[in-house]
Amino acid sequence: MPVEQGVLGSFSEPEAAARAVLALKAGGCADVRAAMPAPFPQVVAALGKRRSAIDFVTFPGALLGLLCGIGLTVGASVAWPIVTGGKPIVSIPPFVIVIFEVTVLIGSLTNLAALSLGTWHGGRPRFFPSQAQFNADRIGVFAAGADPTVAEQILRDSGAQEVSRVR
Amino acid sequence: MSLSFERLEETVRATHRRPGPGYFLLLLLAGSLAGFGGWAYSLIVRKGLYLTGLERPGGWGNLITDFVFWVGIAHSGTLISAILFLFRAKFRTAVYRVAEMMTVFAVMTAGLYPIFHLGRPWFAYWLFPYPNDRGIWVNFRSPLIWDVFAISTYFIVSTVFLLVGVAPDAAALRDKATGWRKKLYTLLAFGWRGTDEQWRHYTRAYLFFAAFATPLVVSVHSVVSWDFAVSILPGWHSTLFPPYFVAGAILSGVAMVIVILIPLRKWLHLEEIITPTHLDMLSRLVVLTSLIVTYSYATEIATSLAEPVADPERSTFVFRMTGHYAPLFWLMVTFNCVGPSLLLIGRVRRSIRALFVISLLVNVGMWLERFNIVVTSLAHDRLPFMWRNYSPSWVEWAMTFGSFGWFFFWFLIGLKLLPPVSIAEMKEELAHGAHGPGEVAHAS
Repeated sequence: MPVEQGVLGSFSEPEAAARAVLALKAGGCADVRAAMPAPFPQVVAALGKRRSAIDFVTFPGALLGLLCGIGLTVGASVAWPIVTGGKPIVSIPPFVIVIFEVTVLIGSLTNLAALSLGTWHGGRPRFFPSQAQFNADRIGVFAAGADPTVAEQILRDSGAQEVSRVR
Repeated sequence: MSLSFERLEETVRATHRRPGPGYFLLLLLAGSLAGFGGWAYSLIVRKGLYLTGLERPGGWGNLITDFVFWVGIAHSGTLISAILFLFRAKFRTAVYRVAEMMTVFAVMTAGLYPIFHLGRPWFAYWLFPYPNDRGIWVNFRSPLIWDVFAISTYFIVSTVFLLVGVAPDAAALRDKATGWRKKLYTLLAFGWRGTDEQWRHYTRAYLFFAAFATPLVVSVHSVVSWDFAVSILPGWHSTLFPPYFVAGAILSGVAMVIVILIPLRKWLHLEEIITPTHLDMLSRLVVLTSLIVTYSYATEIATSLAEPVADPERSTFVFRMTGHYAPLFWLMVTFNCVGPSLLLIGRVRRSIRALFVISLLVNVGMWLERFNIVVTSLAHDRLPFMWRNYSPSWVEWAMTFGSFGWFFFWFLIGLKLLPPVSIAEMKEELAHGAHGPGEVAHAS
């Protein structure tokens, strides 16, 4: 992951971090990123990122599971017909149970795969200055490619406890 | 009282410190029980199922009872983590990780018992559909195959759900860990850095996991109930079974969570995180599900007694209530219906000792319920000349107690490897109730 230039501010309060994000955006910084120990709604809202596109992977994954379930039950029953008690070879009501389980299984595994891919940004994770405190008790706001002097001032004015330049 | 992010993390990290002799003693006890159960099972493998008390008409006994019991125990984890998440019930945050761990280890236990019950367990893989030279496939109309799909799906999904939830917490613990623990947390953190990009996808994916797990949890115990309900045996052939089994599963699971949490919060010094308020909320769930179970018992009895005297359904229920197994039936009613109803009294509910005893007895009662369902119907079916009472052999009892040893062995190990409380969700909840991460008011 290549290091990107920018200014990093460290905050102890989500409200202050959210203020900083909004101020940076208003100040012309288009690429504002954050790291935090929990998804604080104020910060998430201030960043204004669009909703994750995981839906578009998980839903087809579940549909694939549905088709696999149908294919497995119907295909296997036709390939090896078990004639019992005059019941139809392709008995939909009992098959629905297996089809449902396969739908959930493949849907969940697709969801996991989509999450893995998404959190790694399609194998190209975006740079964020690594600091352990952002998993602990601080919120990091990173203004990538911004004018360092302006970004520093905005971050300080918003209540950042520490501000540093990243080169 | 206040709890800071740092203190929260420190409290959770402290649970992973080197344990004292009490922990190792418990681990040894659990391991020995599991080992004894395993040795008892090895006798069955070497000599056959005749070592059990099973004989016609009682083809199912303790082993199937254990299976149904442990599947039930496994249900609370998903209820607390997924269903209560969708309902935005905040009290789940402090307790759901323990419940999820319990779920995974309980399914691991449950899944073994149908295999133990097979005459030739080394052919257990025949239960899975796979292309083979014989050109034959499994019978998808059989409830036993539904079980295979339900239990294996439930195991995979609940394990994934647990591990996905652990990732942000493992990242928080990783940064201050050393040695092999650092390596373990690095692995569990799965590259977690806490960036907004990661949270954006994570929160959405977590919602989907919960949405998948919620109908799954209902389906799994419904499927287990159909093992019985799709037969024509009196006492089993009932449309009431799926909701009755699901409610019973949640009752036993939540009771087990309480039984585990009460000593755990003291032992791991989690009293500040898992408060009496959390236990109070869980006890209300016990009351709710106990009422559903009581209603189901009453419905079963009332509908069977409404039948003519010679009706097999009525005969089986009269046998349950007055026959050879009647003491077990009435113990079941006392532990599952009368005991939890005491929790309607606020003073009893808030007494941790009373709550522990009632919950422990609910677990005994729920095992008895499964035994009553499995055994009494088979012992007293439609043909009076076939009636015969079943008594478990010592081998079966060894395997039953071994299941508890197996479960607690893995649970005790899991406690020392995984954070017993969700750090990230607790932080989010704490931040909601105060000004910021530095020092925030306690959620409870």
